[in-house]
Amino acid sequence: MTPATILVVEDEPDIRRFLRSSLGAEGYRVVESPNGRRGTLDAGMHKPDLAIVDLGLPDFDGIEVIRHIREWSPMPIVVLSARIQERSKIEALDAGADDYVTKPFGVGELLARVRAALRHAARPSSGTELNFGETTINFEKRQALRDGAEVHLTPIEFRLLACLAKHLGMVVTHRQLLTEVWGPTHAADTHYLRVYMKQLREKLEVDPVQPRHLLTETGVGYRLMDDSGTEP
Amino acid sequence: MKWRGYACALGATAACTLAGLALGTWLELVNIAMVYLLGVVLVALYGGRGAVVAASILNIAAYNFFFVPPRSTFHVDDPQYLVTFAMMLAVGLIVSWLTETVRARAQAQADLAVQAETERIRNALLSSISHDLRTPLAVISGASSSLAEGGERMAMEERRALAQSIFRESQEMSELVAKVLQMTRLESGGLTLERDWCSIGEIGASVLRRLKPRLADHMVMIDLPADLPLARVDGALIEQALANLLENAARHTPARTLIRLRAHVDGGEMVVSVEDFGPGLPDGSLERLFDKFHPGRRGGVGLGLAICRAIVALHGGRIWAERLPGVGTAFRFSLALESPPEMPAEALAK
Repeated sequence: MTPATILVVEDEPDIRRFLRSSLGAEGYRVVESPNGRRGTLDAGMHKPDLAIVDLGLPDFDGIEVIRHIREWSPMPIVVLSARIQERSKIEALDAGADDYVTKPFGVGELLARVRAALRHAARPSSGTELNFGETTINFEKRQALRDGAEVHLTPIEFRLLACLAKHLGMVVTHRQLLTEVWGPTHAADTHYLRVYMKQLREKLEVDPVQPRHLLTETGVGYRLMDDSGTEP
Repeated sequence: MKWRGYACALGATAACTLAGLALGTWLELVNIAMVYLLGVVLVALYGGRGAVVAASILNIAAYNFFFVPPRSTFHVDDPQYLVTFAMMLAVGLIVSWLTETVRARAQAQADLAVQAETERIRNALLSSISHDLRTPLAVISGASSSLAEGGERMAMEERRALAQSIFRESQEMSELVAKVLQMTRLESGGLTLERDWCSIGEIGASVLRRLKPRLADHMVMIDLPADLPLARVDGALIEQALANLLENAARHTPARTLIRLRAHVDGGEMVVSVEDFGPGLPDGSLERLFDKFHPGRRGGVGLGLAICRAIVALHGGRIWAERLPGVGTAFRFSLALESPPEMPAEALAK
């Protein structure tokens, strides 16, 4: 199997250096771009398997890079965000990024996100079956089993779970979930999610109070983790 | 202010004239002039220069009109009185000038005192931040230079331990810098709330997951009623407030102490608490705990609780600390509850 190619769009040379060495040590081939314009070109030229994009680029906003890439490619994009404000993260995710890591970050965290995104791209979870913890979901049969016993899920609960499963291991914003499950007119009705996520956790998590799979990204959205994607 | 000064001058003239008329039968003309002079001096003490000039002219005119012969005219027989007039004006101006100088000096001194206090707070901030930054910086530069200059001669575990301490300390630093920035932002009023319906349970679980390494030595539990309503708050900020309270509890209690995150509805508000069963707080004001750089606290500039207070205040709530009966401490904050949002149809149908 040829090693996956990762495009790193980041203006700080020191950050590029440690990304190059740690991604290289993991066996990835690394292409580096120091700015947004080059990043957009390199994405088209090298056709990487995944892009890591810094949001604070000198020439234009990283969100523009994401939009450019999304015009022609579904490759996973992980965003590096130095801003502690949630808004830029959400904007990047809504523009098509799949996940984010907030600077300063440990390499372990970034590698976990990269692995999850690559795994997801290699095996898009349009699959019919999903396993996590003691739970097995069959989307085709609309069946949920926990410890072998059937659990009743409502149609909305199934849709919500399917939407999260489609982005398994990655963060899905409130807006994305609400639009996909309830439609664009409900894109701001975050309380729907609070109610349904609580129900899902009560039905599917061993400890609904401190869930291990249906995770909250406060202010951003939710993330479904299966067993292979345990937390970094 | 100016208008009031002139009214004062007019009042003084009227008062002096009345006093002069009342006492006129047994006062010498010279002493009546003194009464008018007193009026001018009093105006000089409280009014501005314009009021003093006005009072002088009015007093001179009144004195001339009512007392200086020939009475009831502005005509002056004896040129001696011109000297009296000039003296009255001069005394008034001098007193007014003196008063203004003294007042300006007092104001300058007050300004200086405020400046000194601001300076003192800023210095306290800088010295505690630089102290808190210097320790991790010393570790980072020491450990990284050891690795850079002799790393190949070290055992693998040793190298890893050094690298790990660099990582840990740099995270410590970045936490501190983030806190300072956040405090600045909260204080400058440059932060707008992004309110949204949030579940305190979700936020609590997310905080515990995020702080897992820092809380590893303690027993932390979430204890929330199943029917706790949603709150319309800025989730990210409330998460930060909870994180600061939990970190604070972990830092000030011995390992294996139980820390409990609770919430309950009390009237029209929700009260969220972080309770610990540690040794409790020393005697003293509980309110001062939330001050910036509250003195005498180990490890840290003590920004955490000040940030909590600012976040809660921004939400229109209160924050306070309580000594728990027996042992331990509770930090609580309140959030106003709003009428619950309209629920999705399917949830209602069930």
